[in-house]
Amino acid sequence: MADEIVERLQSHLKSDVLEVRVPRARRIFLRVKTTSFKEAIRYAILELGFSHLSSITGIDLGGEIELIYHLAYRNATELSLIIRVPKGDALVPTISDLMPNSALYEREVHDLMGVRFDGLSDLSPLLLPDGWPKEIYPLRKEYTFSDLHEIKLKKS
Amino acid sequence: MGYASTIKVPFGPQHPALKEPEHFLFECEGDIVVNVTPRIGYVHRGMEKAFELGTYSHDMYLAERVCGICTSAHTTCYTQAVEELMGVEIPARARYIRTIIAELERLQSHSLWVGIVAHEAGFDTLFMYVWRDREVVMNLFEELTGGRVLHAINTLGGVRRDISPDAVLKIKGGLDYFEKRTKEYLRVIKTERTFLKRTSGVGLLKPDDAASLNAVGPTLRGSGIRNDVRVDDPYIAYGEIPFNLITSDGCDVLSRTVVRTEEMLESINIIRYALDHMPAGEIRVRAPKNAPPGEVVSRVEAPRGELMHYARSNGTAKPERYKVRAPTLANIPSLCKTLMGVHVADIPIILAGIDPCFACMDRMLIIGKKTNEKRYFTR
Amino acid sequence: MLAYDLFQLIVFPGALFLFCLAFLYEWVDRKFFAKVQNRYGPLYTGTLGLLQPVADFLKLLYKEDLVPKACDRNIFSSVPIVYVVLPLTTLFIIPISGQTGLVAFNGDLIFVMFIFALMTITVFLAGWSSMSRFSIIGSVRSALQMLSYEIPLGLALIGPAIAAKSLSISSIVQWQSANATWGLWLQPIGFGVFFICMLAELELVPFDIPEADTEIVAGWRTEFSGRKLAMFRLGRDLEIVLASALVTSLFLGGAQPLGLIPPVLVFLVKSLFVVIMLSFARALFARFRIDQMIAGMWKYLLPIAILQIILIQLGLGV
Repeated sequence: MADEIVERLQSHLKSDVLEVRVPRARRIFLRVKTTSFKEAIRYAILELGFSHLSSITGIDLGGEIELIYHLAYRNATELSLIIRVPKGDALVPTISDLMPNSALYEREVHDLMGVRFDGLSDLSPLLLPDGWPKEIYPLRKEYTFSDLHEIKLKKS
Repeated sequence: MGYASTIKVPFGPQHPALKEPEHFLFECEGDIVVNVTPRIGYVHRGMEKAFELGTYSHDMYLAERVCGICTSAHTTCYTQAVEELMGVEIPARARYIRTIIAELERLQSHSLWVGIVAHEAGFDTLFMYVWRDREVVMNLFEELTGGRVLHAINTLGGVRRDISPDAVLKIKGGLDYFEKRTKEYLRVIKTERTFLKRTSGVGLLKPDDAASLNAVGPTLRGSGIRNDVRVDDPYIAYGEIPFNLITSDGCDVLSRTVVRTEEMLESINIIRYALDHMPAGEIRVRAPKNAPPGEVVSRVEAPRGELMHYARSNGTAKPERYKVRAPTLANIPSLCKTLMGVHVADIPIILAGIDPCFACMDRMLIIGKKTNEKRYFTR
Repeated sequence: MLAYDLFQLIVFPGALFLFCLAFLYEWVDRKFFAKVQNRYGPLYTGTLGLLQPVADFLKLLYKEDLVPKACDRNIFSSVPIVYVVLPLTTLFIIPISGQTGLVAFNGDLIFVMFIFALMTITVFLAGWSSMSRFSIIGSVRSALQMLSYEIPLGLALIGPAIAAKSLSISSIVQWQSANATWGLWLQPIGFGVFFICMLAELELVPFDIPEADTEIVAGWRTEFSGRKLAMFRLGRDLEIVLASALVTSLFLGGAQPLGLIPPVLVFLVKSLFVVIMLSFARALFARFRIDQMIAGMWKYLLPIAILQIILIQLGLGV
């Protein structure tokens, strides 16, 4: 099952696929070029039938931020679609047009990682308290726990 | 300006219908809800950051405390992820014990929920009875693991405690009683007229909407969609245990109630089967301290639905990144859809209908010790 | 003579006795409700927790009395007193220790109806004056609820009056005792309608819509605290006494002497039975939604109440 999906993804995306791993049954990790991300995820959702978005994870790699879209096919095969964006200018097209519930996860990543989503209208804080200072993204590696302790909330 | 045609009714962060602080802003036209805006994060504890601080064995305790009701689901998911990273294969007996505890937890969580829904519908008698019988399961937990709420049975490489033949008999005795009572409650739920009036046809979530908004767990199964991680993506011992997947076509709060109650009966069968077929042998293997670089997606069917953990290791004893996605968060979009066009009086029961667990969803724990002074963002 | 009248009004079977009865009935209600739900109920204050309602009342009396800034102060502080006085006054009409009430007069049945309407208006004012979202929703719901049960209630009250050819509760009791029968046997439908209306009037499950705690906090009572809340609780207890006394007097024969047993004891037993029935009903059902309640009242209860009147007109149940 997983092999067939990988094959179809590879034949569709061709050289845009940077890395593929199938560590065990029902798990696929696939890294694609950021430029072809939207096409890749559209293909996975609409053509391959990955109808369930489990979550979006953001990871701070230092200079770049890695975004992982966890998609599930028939609730069984889990495809992790990985892209990398530069940390300074982290801008990714939203997929809330394909997957309405992704807005929630995108707002979460925006809150905690500082990735902006192009086309997402509502970027108000979701998890962080009101009055949280701008430009401080707690899950980025440069903020340690003790730094976060010192943050004072702005009074609204 | 004219007058506003809608009134705003805030629900929470403190509200008797919500057992945990979360805020929903309802815009109502008369008695009908026309818009709803959720604001989550009131119990955000910065857990994902904290996961990066601790070693794998420390984080075990953190995972235990993501949620009080589904603690074993979180630790199962965590140990599964980390064991896969470390390349540890746990003994078969440990897998069965984990399954038994996970299913007992489902019993406990679902019966808690049935009580809460009865309470939201103003049916306090059912609430009291269900919670009285829930004590049977809680006492079993105390017997088996030493903790009523935080079981701490799972550990890296296996489980902490074995189930003795004596305890097997005790579990079976408790289950027999619990099964009898659950069948009785199922009868009450399906026949009590006033309760049906409040739940049947209330909070409709069409199967199409449920699927496209990615609802999970009993909320999805209550809309008639067959979806269960235990069946579709088997983990621990579920691949070896035969059981039925429960669905119901009502798409309303009643069918969510029925799904959960019937799931309790199914859980009882799973536990019985697991107790009978539990292989002998070790319950634990040694887990290494460090995990080689890698990443893993771990999924578990928590009582509330699909629970997903993502872990990435970097070769040290601490994870590079740990991500938790609790089922309640996945159910929020479909909940908001369900809440459109309902009566204000139905809001509590629909909110309760997804079995919200907001602490899970926000992934945090303690509000800071310094809350009396300035508000700090604390661990 | 004046001294005896005063004693009757103030001590027995007047105010003091009624307060004791109110606390006793609250205890019975709580204890029975708890037993039905497989709980213990009040346990520690006094024998079997008998003094718990009194203790609760005293505790509330010396608690801080918070008054919201936005509220209408005059109404806000006066409604709790009115809420106690109304059922207390009405209880003087009802025969408790003999076959005539303390201040019985011809037409007091109409007065009782009027008091019931007035109580709902008090509740409405209580919610309205506290200017809180939940209170206002609660008070509007309580007014809506009154609109739906008022007419069946009136019709159910009229039944015994037609049978006894009198609008005085005392004469209805005397008529039942003279004919050696109970209203319950003659007009079972009317009894059922009246009982349901009493559940609605007392805002008990399944009709506790105006104070549905999971929906609107405590409904119209949300903003009241301290002494005012104590007054409301006492008023509620007296209302339960009133409801059980009315059911007893109109349908269960009222305070008739039974051999050597004094009428007051007979009355107590009968009304305790009614209280237990009320709390049993409270334990059996889930709460209706307000629209379901109104629809049910108009669609089912009203025709049934009219049917009872027709039956009486046909000569049945008189």
